[in-house]
Amino acid sequence: MRRYFIALICLFLLVLQGMAMSLLPSNLVYSDLLMTPHWILGFLILIAIFYDRDDTYYSVWHALLFGLLVDVVYTGVLGVYMVTYGIVTYIIHRLNQSVHAGLVSASLLTIVGIALADTILYIIYSFVSITSMTWGNYAWLRLLPTLAANMIFFILLYPLVKDKISSWSEDINNA
Amino acid sequence: MPSLFRKRRLMVVLIGFIILVALIGFSIRDRASLSTPEKFLQDTVGWMQTIIHKPISVVDHTVDNIQDMFAIYEQNKVLKARLSEYKGVIRENQRLKSDNADLRKTIDKSEALKDYSPIQATVIARSSDRWFEQMTINKGEEHGVKKDMAVMTSDGLVGKIKAAGAFHSTVQLLSGFDRSNKISSWVVREGKEEAFGLIEGYDDESGRLLLEGIKLDEELEKGDTVISSGLGGVFPSDLRIGTVEEVVNDQFGLTKTAYVEPFADLFDINHVIVVDRAAETIEPKNSSEDDDS
Repeated sequence: MRRYFIALICLFLLVLQGMAMSLLPSNLVYSDLLMTPHWILGFLILIAIFYDRDDTYYSVWHALLFGLLVDVVYTGVLGVYMVTYGIVTYIIHRLNQSVHAGLVSASLLTIVGIALADTILYIIYSFVSITSMTWGNYAWLRLLPTLAANMIFFILLYPLVKDKISSWSEDINNA
Repeated sequence: MPSLFRKRRLMVVLIGFIILVALIGFSIRDRASLSTPEKFLQDTVGWMQTIIHKPISVVDHTVDNIQDMFAIYEQNKVLKARLSEYKGVIRENQRLKSDNADLRKTIDKSEALKDYSPIQATVIARSSDRWFEQMTINKGEEHGVKKDMAVMTSDGLVGKIKAAGAFHSTVQLLSGFDRSNKISSWVVREGKEEAFGLIEGYDDESGRLLLEGIKLDEELEKGDTVISSGLGGVFPSDLRIGTVEEVVNDQFGLTKTAYVEPFADLFDINHVIVVDRAAETIEPKNSSEDDDS
């Protein structure tokens, strides 16, 4: 039962991600800065750090599934978010094996993960000419605001779910 | 067995890459309709969004209402002054309408390009990625929405239907328009014939639409109104699009390009009208062919 909670929370974040764009004040969301919420990825990075053991890959499978859902619901170009989220959670999963899990390492891994994910998205989308931004513009107008916005979300999310996730993880391991 | 392990990983990377390219190739081309799993997912997420959207929008509206209340007195004074002007306009409008109907009857033509039946819809979400200027509305094929229909607010045109699911659809906003979504339009000028042009894209930097292909000898003025012509296939005529802001010669000097400021606010959209044209639409045999023309 517990393991379905992860999927449910991801689904909730997916729904919320699109509604935030239409409900938050428009002069904030639609300024020149292209802030992009990567809430699902932020949550799955926490799963990779605190839930997965070295030989389980729940975070990666969830990343593939919900990445595909983001593609279907919000962009219409299939596969891009799916592959990006999959790669990033896998890398975070590997990196996490060599560091001790705590607040500092978790926030560092989240920053790395979200920056990496957004950069991969930019590379793929500029290959298929969905965006024509230059690297300089991209870094200032999209990458930095996106990082800032998602770190605010991370700071709100971390105290809410960290203990829950750890206790679920122990349940699974003891079972 | 490190070598075998590495080979397996290489295989995973290669297969992943092939799947990525195949999926992008499959979905990025201009499809006539969504595949069934996509429709199913879109509707499922759409219903969840509707459920969560309801209570939040109630709170949102209450706040708006309270803010409105403070402005009511001022607005009322202005509106009262306007009201007397409108009485004359209404009478004239009624007279013109009956004239128009009579004249149409004499030439046996009851359906005009400008007639349409509206489908009211509510915006329930917007794409979380700003590179995709699209939003989800809560009406779909079951309510009569079809691909490529025009979508407008009370101010003017905001976009067109990109993909219709069974109960929800995706709207491509004007700000995401490119050369594959052209709108055939007229520039309405005082005392002169309408000038023809095609809306062919959106200038991100200034936030204005590009109206291209205007003849060199047409004189446009700042403030002229741009409306849809209804000749493009699915859009009815007389939908308000925007006002001309600036006119320049195009890069080859053969035609003029006008920058058009859209009437509608493309960011703060809550309720939209999907426009179902009454006049028969030409069914394109192949949708990509239609867009290229």
